[in-house]
Amino acid sequence: MRASSPHRANLLGLAFMTPAMVLLLGFFFLPVVLTSVFAFTNMSTATGISGGSYVVTGNLLRSLTDEGLDAKTIDALGQSNYVIDQAGLERARAAGVDAKFVAEIAERLKDRSFTSSSAFERELKTLPSRPTRVRDLKIAAGAFEQSVLNVRYASRGEMEAALSHMLENPPEGAIERIATASYTGWTWTTDNFKNLAIAPDTWRIVGNTVFYVVLTLAFNVAVGLFLAITTFYLPPAGSGFFSVLWLLPRITPVVLYAVMWKWFTWEDGFVFNIAQDLGLPAFNYMKGSVASAWTVVILVNGFVGASFGMILFSGALKAIPVQQLWASEVDGASRWQQIRYIILPQMRWPILFVTSYQTLSLLSSYEQIWLTTNGGPGSTTTIWALEAFKTALNNYTGNLQYGLGAAMALVLVAVGLVLSIVYLRLFRFDEMMSKPKIEF
Amino acid sequence: MTRNFATWPIILLLTVLSLPLFIMYLFLLVDTFSNTPPGSLLPNEFTLEHWRFLIDPTITGDIWKPTLTTFLFAASMMVIVVSVSATAGYALSRLALPFRRFVLSGIMVMHAFPSVTLIIGVFLVLQFAGLYNSLIGVILVKASLMLPFGIWIMKGFYDAVPWEIEMAGVQDGASRFTVWRRIILPQVKPGLLSLALFAFIDGWSEYMLPRILAPSSDFEVLSMYLNTVSDPNSSTYNFNIFKSVGLFYTLPVLALFVLFQNRLMNIFGGGTKG
Amino acid sequence: MQISIRNFTKTFDATTVIDDMNLTIRDGEMLALLGPSGCGKSTTLFTISGIHRMDKGQLMFGDRDVSGLPSQKRNVGVVFQNYALYPHMNVFENIAFPLTVRKDAKADIDREVRAIAALTHISELLERRPGQLSGGQQQRVALARALVRKPDVLLLDEPLANLDAKLRLEMRSEIRRIQLETGITAVLVTHDQVEAMSMCDRIAIMKKGEIVQIDTPADMYSNPRTSFVAGFLGNPPISFLSGIAMENAFSVAPIKLRVPLVPQEGIADGTQLKLGVRPEHFGPEGDIAVEGRIAFAETQGRENLYDVALADGSVLRSIQPAGRNWALGDTVRWHIDSKSVFVFTDDGQRL
Repeated sequence: MRASSPHRANLLGLAFMTPAMVLLLGFFFLPVVLTSVFAFTNMSTATGISGGSYVVTGNLLRSLTDEGLDAKTIDALGQSNYVIDQAGLERARAAGVDAKFVAEIAERLKDRSFTSSSAFERELKTLPSRPTRVRDLKIAAGAFEQSVLNVRYASRGEMEAALSHMLENPPEGAIERIATASYTGWTWTTDNFKNLAIAPDTWRIVGNTVFYVVLTLAFNVAVGLFLAITTFYLPPAGSGFFSVLWLLPRITPVVLYAVMWKWFTWEDGFVFNIAQDLGLPAFNYMKGSVASAWTVVILVNGFVGASFGMILFSGALKAIPVQQLWASEVDGASRWQQIRYIILPQMRWPILFVTSYQTLSLLSSYEQIWLTTNGGPGSTTTIWALEAFKTALNNYTGNLQYGLGAAMALVLVAVGLVLSIVYLRLFRFDEMMSKPKIEF
Repeated sequence: MTRNFATWPIILLLTVLSLPLFIMYLFLLVDTFSNTPPGSLLPNEFTLEHWRFLIDPTITGDIWKPTLTTFLFAASMMVIVVSVSATAGYALSRLALPFRRFVLSGIMVMHAFPSVTLIIGVFLVLQFAGLYNSLIGVILVKASLMLPFGIWIMKGFYDAVPWEIEMAGVQDGASRFTVWRRIILPQVKPGLLSLALFAFIDGWSEYMLPRILAPSSDFEVLSMYLNTVSDPNSSTYNFNIFKSVGLFYTLPVLALFVLFQNRLMNIFGGGTKG
Repeated sequence: MQISIRNFTKTFDATTVIDDMNLTIRDGEMLALLGPSGCGKSTTLFTISGIHRMDKGQLMFGDRDVSGLPSQKRNVGVVFQNYALYPHMNVFENIAFPLTVRKDAKADIDREVRAIAALTHISELLERRPGQLSGGQQQRVALARALVRKPDVLLLDEPLANLDAKLRLEMRSEIRRIQLETGITAVLVTHDQVEAMSMCDRIAIMKKGEIVQIDTPADMYSNPRTSFVAGFLGNPPISFLSGIAMENAFSVAPIKLRVPLVPQEGIADGTQLKLGVRPEHFGPEGDIAVEGRIAFAETQGRENLYDVALADGSVLRSIQPAGRNWALGDTVRWHIDSKSVFVFTDDGQRL
């Protein structure tokens, strides 16, 4: 386009686009960005999503020991100190320690410190107004306890200050190392992808996904084509009935649709009863065996998708001039020949379109599988999208791994992006982008 | 259509292929009005007891509140989708915009793009925006995910309105907004209606988004309600009751579908997205 | 109102459609922009109306420079080829629309609409929807809508193209009548020379984004400036013979044809030339004899049309009153009226 384009931005156009842009940026663009960003973190329920704090826990001490931090430092970290300072005095008052006793502590022991509770308690017992009950004494002592163990520090600086306070002559770099290890929030990492690449499950799930997409797609296209062609040859009443029947799965809410399949294939369900009457193996077909589970998964999705092909193919069929069909009949073509030589060749583009379009949506659709087999038995019918979803948002252990899930989703996002751009090229959608004709 | 070939082999083939669907939907209807002895397939008595949940909240819990919530959910989402698509579709079809080609291709990519993939990202967005576990958040997400489709459909309808009509309006002295409002919008009414219907049905049926993005909120839509009822591990596990609930849930959608089948057909296959 | 276009250039995606055009439309006249498709006539029209922006140049309505104004501020009435009536409004609402958006008083609107409906003879159609009207009626409604707010200029974009032959004849005179009655300045875009000649005060013939000639229909017909103009006007069309200049005459040696170049002298011998002969100037009467054979004959009722093939293979067309009929294959010795022929250079310029 030339630099002196006659089109100037139209204010009304900007106003008209703004709501859409805000929503699309917020719920399309931003999620893509976040998915790609968080794919490179170890974010999970444990780390939280908004950042973390610095805590030295018993677990951390053990793992630091395993990583070879010297025993003296570990020991010191586990220790408590007792320091009589202003903060401690206030804590004591807040804990309900007798005011007189607190005043005495302040007066006699101010700014002293003790390395063990027994030494401190011994000292306390020498004070005149000490409490009679041991429990009260321990509460008073506890108010002055200072330890980094299990204390939450909001910033790294505070943690490092506390550590240097606790540790005398720590080894070189130990404070930084402990502070880093004590961080509870999420951190940047590429481990998600490394782990995905080496986990044996990954390739099984990829295999499942390919299997699922290919078979369901084949079912969709074949049945869609079959339905379109057969209803094409039927009188209107018949074709109307079958079109509506096949459209029903599409408009039936997915929850109900899944339940109907359960009724159909579950123990004591319809097929179960029939099989029993006929003396055939009767079991829960949805979850009972791998083969039957796959069959159910493919049928469940196939019956929904077939209508999409049916509608598109029917449209394409109606666009074939009926004279062509009459001519072929006059020429003596059988019905099969008519389909084979007249109809199918003209269905090439619609078939390609349905194939590409459904590949994309099948790759990412897990709703039906989730509600029927839920990937089972075991994880035999688990596909990539379902696994990503479960990892990040819906697993029973309760520790949702957002980072890993995002990494898995990012793989799908990348595949989806590439495929959709390829399809747009393929189907020449850019021809629909003619310029506005009113130039003012 | 051509009459030179027999139709019965076709009907036979079609019937066999359609049998599972036919049985499922037939029994969906029959089972809600009848009792079937265990181990049998054929009902032996007519009853309305499976519909008692409509008036007796002790059976499956109050159904009317989720029904109202679902209606609100579907209706608000429909309003957002239709109004935003109606304006954005027009802008993209007819008005000069900066980066118009880029925005158009972006929307087309999003239109083809499987949006469920984004659910994890959307979850994080809602968390940050503080809209997690809220009805508004779910409505916004659902509406946004449908927008590329809606804009695409509406752009198609606008594209079909002759440019001359628009030019005539401008020549007659009307502003572009007036032209849109008084001349173009009436021309795309069928599109608006189809999109509204489709959006409403889609919203009414939505299960995943409320379930994932608002799992512990105090509102419940019918799909979640039905899923609770139909959990085989629940104490109220009874196929006939949840079929009744399911049928009740689906009736509005079925009614809309039957009434507006032809309009919806356009959109199910049209806009190149099903 | 006088409309003038000065140094107008228009480019679509690096293709220059109009290059440095100048055109003045006089107050109250009806001017035709005539030319083959793609010549830029519609682009010119839509530029005057404010749909297209000028890349370069200036557009004046009287003393007002409207180059940068959108359509809404130009006060231009347009009749589109497909009429562009608003399908959801009835005829009254369609015509009233320009006034309603101007927020005129209701009573005024009613009066104006009824007046313009009376002028265009559609008073009894005001309640109908566009879909219930015939093509001619839709055309009248479109005219009424374009005229109702008394525009400075009326633009007609191929207004008759969508009508059948009989209606086209009727609407031709109707549009002219209405234009004369309102005295409005009008521009008609058409590719049909009959339309242009019969309806307009002046014709501007366009070719590849340039105005080739602008003249009254009669002058344009009798005095074309180029072979393109001569070929575009006239039905049946003019026929051309190729030859060379020889001793102050147009000469086709093989058939010994020699037509003296009366007004011009001093054309170098051997210069390639073209001779344009209108069908009415070739027949039994005339001064320069040509022999040939009737290669095609067509009866049109009042007149007969003949193609006469000359010995060298070139063809001259002739139109003759019915009565004396020649048959296919007859050899004839007819004459060219040498005072009425046009001589063009090889690149089409009139000598």
